[in-house]
Amino acid sequence: MSINNNQNTDIQANQNEETRARISTVKNLKRRFVRNDVLAMVLLFGLMLIAPLFPSVKGWMLSQASLVIIYIIAALGVMVLVGFTGLVSVGHGGFLAIGAYTSALLTLHLGVDLVVGIIAALLMSGLIGAGLALIFLRLSGAFMAIGTLGFAFFVGTILNNIPFFQGRDGILLDANFVLGFEIYDHGFYLVSVVCLILVTLFVYMLVNSGTGRAFMALRDAEKAAMASGVNRLKFRTLAFSISAAITGIAGALNAHVVNYVSAEVFADIWYSVDILMAVVVGGSVAILGPFVGGFFVVMMPFYFEQLADFSFIMKGVVLILVLRFAPAGVAELILRPLKNARRTILRNVGGSMVETKEPKDD
Amino acid sequence: MLGQQILSGLATGSLYALTAIAVVVVFRNTRTINLAQGDFAMVGAFLGIIFLKEWGMNYFAMLALVVLCCMALGGFVERVVMRPVAESDWLTLFTTTIGVYYILHGMAGWIWGRDTKAFPVSFEATPVEVFGALISKGHLYNMAIALLIGGVLWTFFTKTKQGIAMRAVTDDPETAYLMGIPVKFIVTLTWVMAGAIAGFIGVLMAPIIYVSPEMMDEILIKGYVAAVFGGLYSFRGAVIGALMIGVAENLAGGYLGSHYKTSVAFVMIVVLLAFRPQGLVGIQERREI
Amino acid sequence: MTDHLRCEGITVKFGGVVACDNISLNVETGKIVGLIGPNGAGKTTLFNVLTRFQPYVAGSVFHNGNNVDELRPHDMVHRGLARTFQNINLFREQTTLRNIMTGGHSLIGNPIKAMCWTPDARKREREIEERAIEIAEILNLSGELENEVGNLPYGYQKRVELGRALASKPSLLLLDEPVAGCNDDETAELQEIIHTVNKKMGVSVLLVEHDMKMVMKVCDYLFVINFGSNLAEGTPEDIRQNPEVIKAYLGEEEHT
Repeated sequence: MSINNNQNTDIQANQNEETRARISTVKNLKRRFVRNDVLAMVLLFGLMLIAPLFPSVKGWMLSQASLVIIYIIAALGVMVLVGFTGLVSVGHGGFLAIGAYTSALLTLHLGVDLVVGIIAALLMSGLIGAGLALIFLRLSGAFMAIGTLGFAFFVGTILNNIPFFQGRDGILLDANFVLGFEIYDHGFYLVSVVCLILVTLFVYMLVNSGTGRAFMALRDAEKAAMASGVNRLKFRTLAFSISAAITGIAGALNAHVVNYVSAEVFADIWYSVDILMAVVVGGSVAILGPFVGGFFVVMMPFYFEQLADFSFIMKGVVLILVLRFAPAGVAELILRPLKNARRTILRNVGGSMVETKEPKDD
Repeated sequence: MLGQQILSGLATGSLYALTAIAVVVVFRNTRTINLAQGDFAMVGAFLGIIFLKEWGMNYFAMLALVVLCCMALGGFVERVVMRPVAESDWLTLFTTTIGVYYILHGMAGWIWGRDTKAFPVSFEATPVEVFGALISKGHLYNMAIALLIGGVLWTFFTKTKQGIAMRAVTDDPETAYLMGIPVKFIVTLTWVMAGAIAGFIGVLMAPIIYVSPEMMDEILIKGYVAAVFGGLYSFRGAVIGALMIGVAENLAGGYLGSHYKTSVAFVMIVVLLAFRPQGLVGIQERREI
Repeated sequence: MTDHLRCEGITVKFGGVVACDNISLNVETGKIVGLIGPNGAGKTTLFNVLTRFQPYVAGSVFHNGNNVDELRPHDMVHRGLARTFQNINLFREQTTLRNIMTGGHSLIGNPIKAMCWTPDARKREREIEERAIEIAEILNLSGELENEVGNLPYGYQKRVELGRALASKPSLLLLDEPVAGCNDDETAELQEIIHTVNKKMGVSVLLVEHDMKMVMKVCDYLFVINFGSNLAEGTPEDIRQNPEVIKAYLGEEEHT
């Protein structure tokens, strides 16, 4: 009897050890995957940083690139909401405007540095976003979309009609100063890239934290999230506020890239729709998504400069085709095989005993 | 003066109400927020110009033909664009209509140009006295048409077989399908109806706001806000919401200055949400917080 | 012995229908308590009341002697109550590990610090992960940590949900029909797990269950409700002998 018992414990101990070993292998593998992702990002950002050094890169190209980056940042903000929290806002153009005007007015009246302007824009958008969230979170899905659309429209009207904002004439800024140095195309481009790097890093950290997990829990199964102790109102408000703050940064940059803000531009609610579109086309569950989407939304009209209407048509056609054939977004099209391969590896190494079907493409 | 404001508010409100009804029809039957609704009307207005100016049609023939064309447009959009994604979540449906918006917008700009055009039929501004307040003939005419369309829709939904079938589809599409109601046909019919309403709106609005690719953007948003007022499911709520927005806007325009007219709709929705989050007639899809 | 969770005079109405009528029960610290009753007796409703998912018109709920009538479901989790659902409620597109880690939400600390990756937050994050892995081991889920929950068979999903509940370091676990739909092996396994959780981790358990054999074997104390009211309470032995209970419920199933 006692011998038997001992043998049993031995077998169990062996099994335990085996499990431990497998778990640590899985951990190492995951760490390696993260390292690869980070490496890819570092490469991309490194390339963006040294791009101005190439002699063939002209000033206007950098301005255009700055515009793309601004859209990517705004789209990253919307992605936090749409992709990771499952809330849809069609009103983020409003936060773009709030960010732009906060920074522009501070620069105009107090002559603050661009860095201060950006931080102020971030805080202002974040605060207003939190306040709005408290109102709009009462509405679900489609209703919230319309409510936020109304918000963007409202911001446009306010900016246009209250004299303080100089809506009709716009605000003209003289120059951009960063940490006391005046910057031009090249400098502004670098500032934009740095902002993009910081925002991307932040979004990455957010998604890979307990807070991000709570957002995704609310997105996937509200009841289960509540049973896990997630405070719905608190975390949805937080998500909305973060999302608004990030878009606010994009707004501040947008004001300074052309050194001019005008309510005419922001009153156009299709500005908001464009940001949402960037996220939908690019993909909302991978950080690469907004990069693809932002590039698409800015470069499409750029290529069809003489044919503004044609670019509208192309935008619509691309949007419909993407939704039809790659509803998860273009970035997912690229990343899906990679993700699936990694998942299979992790599953097998982890010692899954369950027969799995391949995940559906939807 | 106050009665005056209210009356002309109701006149604008009735046009918002038509948009809101079209929004509600589509949302109820297909769970789609149709962002292209305004553009159907915009296309209708441009066609109206062509029919009147180039084809020399009279007003009522033009109206009938515009409505027919818009119905065809609605049906076409449903069959070609919406049907393939019909099973998706509401965000996909919604963004697909954004695609339609962009295409119609771009096409209109491409074919007819971006600048504002006057509608050949001018707005009948002769004042008429109603209950002691003055109102222009044109507004009265618009209200009458809106009322007529509302009545026709009401009869359709409560009295005809198709209308009742449509309601069944709204309530429970699967059971409706099992009961032999042609769900797909009903969905197409929905979009055709949305097109028809848009045709009327386009022709009615054109003399007031002139014709351009962007002409409907603002009205569309108000129509939406009105629809949210009623909970997106209720025609009655949408109509009441639309009339309220119309009146409130006019009062704000009269007493605060016309600049603030346009933000009234948003302020109203915020107030509504703060005090009556279930919507005017009860929003079924409220999120608990 | 102190009461861990206690409710008094709970009344719930759905429109005109009274789902719970003046029900009282208490869970003693460290015990496994069963809540049984025929179908439609109001067990799940009462369960939702205790976890504050369901509003009630009269009565009070006390946790460790404190009134918790005003608290919301997530507050209860932070106070050490964790629950599972009758129909599995999981994040189907996420992996087992992530599901269990989400259960540890109440341990992430300040969400702002968590998303800024402060050293303290990272330490907590590692602890949550370690704990999730340990729980998976207890639940025999180590192999499926990187598998999406939606891919797993029913019995596994039941265990993942249990894991999600355990991850919050609960002192009281509320299980809504933990073995419903499981085969005999799976039932035996879950029964074993519930015992382990109670005895080794010192967690009190309240469970709603239909499987009488399992209830009689596992529970220290039982409450029986019928038509939304208290019918009887006592040890499994008492209940087995109680003629009213036999009449209402056990008759055909156990006493043949």
